[in-house]
Amino acid sequence: MKVWQMFWSISLLVAGGSFAFITAVVAVKGFQDLRDLFRRLRQQGDKEQ
Amino acid sequence: MGFTYLDWFIVAVYLIASVAVGLLGKRFVGKSVSHYLVAGRELGLYIGIATLAATEIGTITFMYNAELGYRYGFSAFCAALISGVAMIIVGRTGFVIQRFRGLQLMTVPEYFERKYSLGLRLLTGILVALGGILNMGVFLKIEGEFLTIVSGIPVRYLVLTMTVILLLEVLYTVAGGMVSVVITDFLQYVLLSVATVLVSLYAVHYAGWSNIVNKVSTTMGIAGYDPLVNPKFGAAFVIWQLLLWFSIHTCWQTTAMRMFSTKSPEISRKVMTWTGFIYLGRGMLPMLWGIAALTLFGVGPMDHGAPSPVVNRSTLATIDAMPAMLSQILHPGIKGLVVAGMLAATMSVNSSYLLGWSSIISQDVVLPVRRLLHKQPLSSRAQIVVNRAANLFVSLFLMFWGLYYTPPGAVYLYLNITGTIFLAGAFVCVVGGLYWRRANTVGGYSAMLMGAAGAIVPFFFLHSNETIAGFTAFGLAAAGLVVGSALGRPNKLPLMSGTHGTGI
Repeated sequence: MKVWQMFWSISLLVAGGSFAFITAVVAVKGFQDLRDLFRRLRQQGDKEQ
Repeated sequence: MGFTYLDWFIVAVYLIASVAVGLLGKRFVGKSVSHYLVAGRELGLYIGIATLAATEIGTITFMYNAELGYRYGFSAFCAALISGVAMIIVGRTGFVIQRFRGLQLMTVPEYFERKYSLGLRLLTGILVALGGILNMGVFLKIEGEFLTIVSGIPVRYLVLTMTVILLLEVLYTVAGGMVSVVITDFLQYVLLSVATVLVSLYAVHYAGWSNIVNKVSTTMGIAGYDPLVNPKFGAAFVIWQLLLWFSIHTCWQTTAMRMFSTKSPEISRKVMTWTGFIYLGRGMLPMLWGIAALTLFGVGPMDHGAPSPVVNRSTLATIDAMPAMLSQILHPGIKGLVVAGMLAATMSVNSSYLLGWSSIISQDVVLPVRRLLHKQPLSSRAQIVVNRAANLFVSLFLMFWGLYYTPPGAVYLYLNITGTIFLAGAFVCVVGGLYWRRANTVGGYSAMLMGAAGAIVPFFFLHSNETIAGFTAFGLAAAGLVVGSALGRPNKLPLMSGTHGTGI
C-alpha cells in the first residue's frame, strides 16, 4: 500500500504542477495566437472577396 | 452557505464578458463553411491547447471525476493516468491525427466517405450524432445540480437557470461557429484553470493530506489505492480504458475538430502532446476533491464500498458530495470566482459539443441524404444555415430531454459506454482505413454495426458491467472489420485517397 501511496502522490504532484504551468504559459502566449488567428482570417476573407 | 452579492457580481461580469467576446467571432466568419466549422484551419499551438482543454473540461468532468474519487479513492486515478498518457502517446507519434489533419477533413465521418463509401459516412454520421447527443444529454442536469448546491439557488429555478445558460451558449455558437467557440474557450480555459487550482488548494487545506490518506486506508484498504485489486476496476478495465481513450483522442468529434483546425499536422501533434499533461490534472485534481469530500462528509451508511456523504444531517448522492463541500469551505468572493470558473467550463464544453454534433448532422447526415436523393449541392452559405438549424435542434433536444434524465450508476462509466456505441466501430474503421490496405466497405459496415451492438446489447439488455460491454464492443468491431473485409470486394482506393468510395 505504501508503494501505491507514493506512486499516486508523485502522479498528483506531476499532474497538478504541469496543469498550473501549462495554464500560465497558454494564458500569456495564447493571446498572441488569438491575434494572429484574427489577422489570418481577415486576410482569407479579403482574398475571398 | 449561499452566494453573497460579491459572488453574484463576479458571475454576472463573467457571463456578460463571455457572451460579448463570443459574439466578436461573427465578424470573422464571413461566408466560408471552413471558417465556421474549423476556424479557417488557422489555430496556433497555444490557442489550440486552450480550446482543446476547455472543450474537454466541463463542470460535468469535475462532477464525474469527483464522484469516481469519492467512490473508489486513489484507485480512480488510474483512469486519469490512462487518459493523459494515451493522449501524450497520440501526440508524440501522430497516430491517426497527423494523417487526419493531412486529409483536410471537417468531420470524422467525412473520412468514411473518402476511404469507404457515402452510405457508410451516412450510417456513421447517424450513430455519431445519436451517441454524442445522448452522451451530452446528461450534462445539463448534473451541471445544474452543481450550480444549485454551490450557489444555493432554489431547486425550482434549476430548469430556468440552465435554460438561460444554454441559450447564452447557443447565441454565440450559432452566430460565430468555431471562431466564437475558440475565442470564448481561451477566456474560459484561463478562468476554469484558476478555479481548478484554487479548489484543489482549498480541498487539501480543509481536509488535510494525512486525513485524506487515512480515510481512504480505513474505509477501502488496498482497494482504495491499487486499481488492479479494486473490484470495480482490474486489468480488464485498464485495457478497455486504454482502447477507449485512444479512440476518444483520435475519433471523438469535438477533439478531432481541434486537430482539423490547426495550422498544420505538426501543430496538431504538439497540441495533443501538451494537452495530454493537462489531462492528467483534468482527472486527478477533481478526483482529489472527491476524496477530500469523502474525508469531510463520508460518515453515512456504506454504499458500494464507500460511506454515503452526510451534510447538515442529510444523506446525499455521492456525486453531490463535492459541490456540497465547496459550498461549505469556499470564502465569499472565492466562491463567486469558482462558480464563474465552473460556468466557464460548462459553457466551453457545451458550445463546442453543440457545434460538434450539429456539424455532424449538417455535414454527415443532411448533405449525404441530399446527394443520395440527387439534389443540387448546397452553397457554403446554405451549409452554414443548415448547421445553425441543427445547432438549434440539438439545443432544444437537450433542454427537453437532458434536464429530466438521470443516468444509472457512476456517471463517468455511463458516459464511457454511450460513447463506446459509436467509438468502437469508428476507431476500428479509422485505424483500419488509415493503416490496413485490405479494409473495405463491407468490413466498415460490419465494424460500425457490430461495435454498436456490442455496446448496446450487453449493457442495456443483458445488464453486464461497463468493462464487459466495452470489451465486447471493441472486440466485435475489430472482428467485423477483419471478417467483413475478407468477404467483401477490396476498395480500389489508396490509403490516403481524396476520392469518393464505390457505391453505397
